[in-house]
Amino acid sequence: MTRIWTLAWFLIGDLFHSLPALVPLAAALAFGLIAFEYGMDQAQFITVAGLGIGVIGWLTTLLLAGRADRAWSCLLVARLRRRTELLAALFVSGLGLTGGLAALITVPNLLAGRLTLELPAAGWIVPTWLVLWSLAAALALALSGLVSQGDSHLLGYGLLTALLVANDQKLFLAEHRLGGVIRVLNLLLWPVSRLLAQASAGRHDRLYFLALALTGGYAMALFALAARLFDHKDLFWPE
Amino acid sequence: MIRATELTKRYGSTVALDRLSLEVPDGTVFGLLGPGGAGKTTFLRLVMGFVFPQAGQIDRGGLSPAQIGYLPERASYPPHLSVRAYLTLVARLAGLRGAGLRQAVDRLTGEWGLESVADRRLGACSPGMLRRLGLAQALVGDPPLLLLDEPGQGLDPTDQRFIGERIVALQQAGKTVLLGSHHLDEVTRLCSHIAVLKQGRLVRCGPLEEILAPQPQVIIVTDPLPDGLRDRLAGRSPDLIVAEGRLTLRGEAISYKAHLLRLLLDAGVDIRQIGEQSATLEDLFLEATGR
Repeated sequence: MTRIWTLAWFLIGDLFHSLPALVPLAAALAFGLIAFEYGMDQAQFITVAGLGIGVIGWLTTLLLAGRADRAWSCLLVARLRRRTELLAALFVSGLGLTGGLAALITVPNLLAGRLTLELPAAGWIVPTWLVLWSLAAALALALSGLVSQGDSHLLGYGLLTALLVANDQKLFLAEHRLGGVIRVLNLLLWPVSRLLAQASAGRHDRLYFLALALTGGYAMALFALAARLFDHKDLFWPE
Repeated sequence: MIRATELTKRYGSTVALDRLSLEVPDGTVFGLLGPGGAGKTTFLRLVMGFVFPQAGQIDRGGLSPAQIGYLPERASYPPHLSVRAYLTLVARLAGLRGAGLRQAVDRLTGEWGLESVADRRLGACSPGMLRRLGLAQALVGDPPLLLLDEPGQGLDPTDQRFIGERIVALQQAGKTVLLGSHHLDEVTRLCSHIAVLKQGRLVRCGPLEEILAPQPQVIIVTDPLPDGLRDRLAGRSPDLIVAEGRLTLRGEAISYKAHLLRLLLDAGVDIRQIGEQSATLEDLFLEATGR
């Protein structure tokens, strides 16, 4: 575990010594300014900010994985007992940075009165967002060039794009009698949509915990997929 | 002991290692000698578990890759870290903590002449210093086995000598060093055992003394051989090396010198010169490089 923390700390430091560090920072600042322009209540904050910061977290983890996919990783990976430790470090650092960016967005808006939170109910934001961002970080790892073999990650991007487009075009699908596709989509996206719906409505019942567990299950499955790909990959960092 | 059995590694249609079997005895400085593309780096990467073979097995003598010190041919380092911070990072990953970690970092910076640059950013270090750092990081955690790929690459004679002396000292301290190189002088100076690779295959392997011992060989210089005859001769024996206008007979092949000469004369080949001489490591290497 100490190796994972050591590596995570190093990965964060490495990112902040590079220009790409500006990308998540700029994205977070832009999101903080735009999304909170007219203020937010707790329900909006959970869904809109949760998803928005989740996307920034996904991007951040992808950047971290890109930084780790370099020649200097060779000597560090050589010291690990398992390659998965590098992925775990990327996951942890991605989550840590997402948390930091969330604080960067939330605190100024809270102080400026553009965000109202009701305590102690606002405490439920923590497990909700943690699981949501874990999914984002694990998805970024599974889609990263670090774990891909050949251009296999492009297939992942294709599937993700198809999923998002199909979800956006449900009306079109219904009109073309593709109800089966809609049912599959709803089933696939149920954990995330239900988790946000329950959390924003303040209903922390069995359905909430089921959605929380399933979203966490998605994150674990994606992490396991990334680990499997990385474990079986020939590592050829140009030395 | 490292034992490779029938290792085969292909990159697409390129065969990097072709049924390579090799044993590296404990406590030796073992040189992997061969031209670029012979399979030296691939073999070291296989031992480190960075790449996987299509066939064959590798036995690391009970060591996991994390317990092996490794220096790649062209090591790369995060430029923003200092020498000391980098060694500390590697030591932490190797499981060192507290006073043990500080002592290990201080000892390695001292032994490898890195004190004067300990706080310098890696991006500002000279290639010689980075090579020393590469060797120092390979020794973090005191591994019993070291894999060094071209350790003297791109260094001036002073640094080469320093690193050579340190490698000899490591062997004397009981470590096994597997060294990939295409420099004959480096290998003959440092290694106790060598393996010569050519296109992923083992050409020669054994203690350096045995390999360097004078080995009689007969050289027959001829006109270019007819294609049919050359093909027939080429597959006859590994001790008969057939090149354009030059036949080299070693070992058992020397005993059928007379038969071979008759074969050449019957085929109407003009024999220009016959001579005897001893084969050297350079001959072996030139043969491996095909020059």
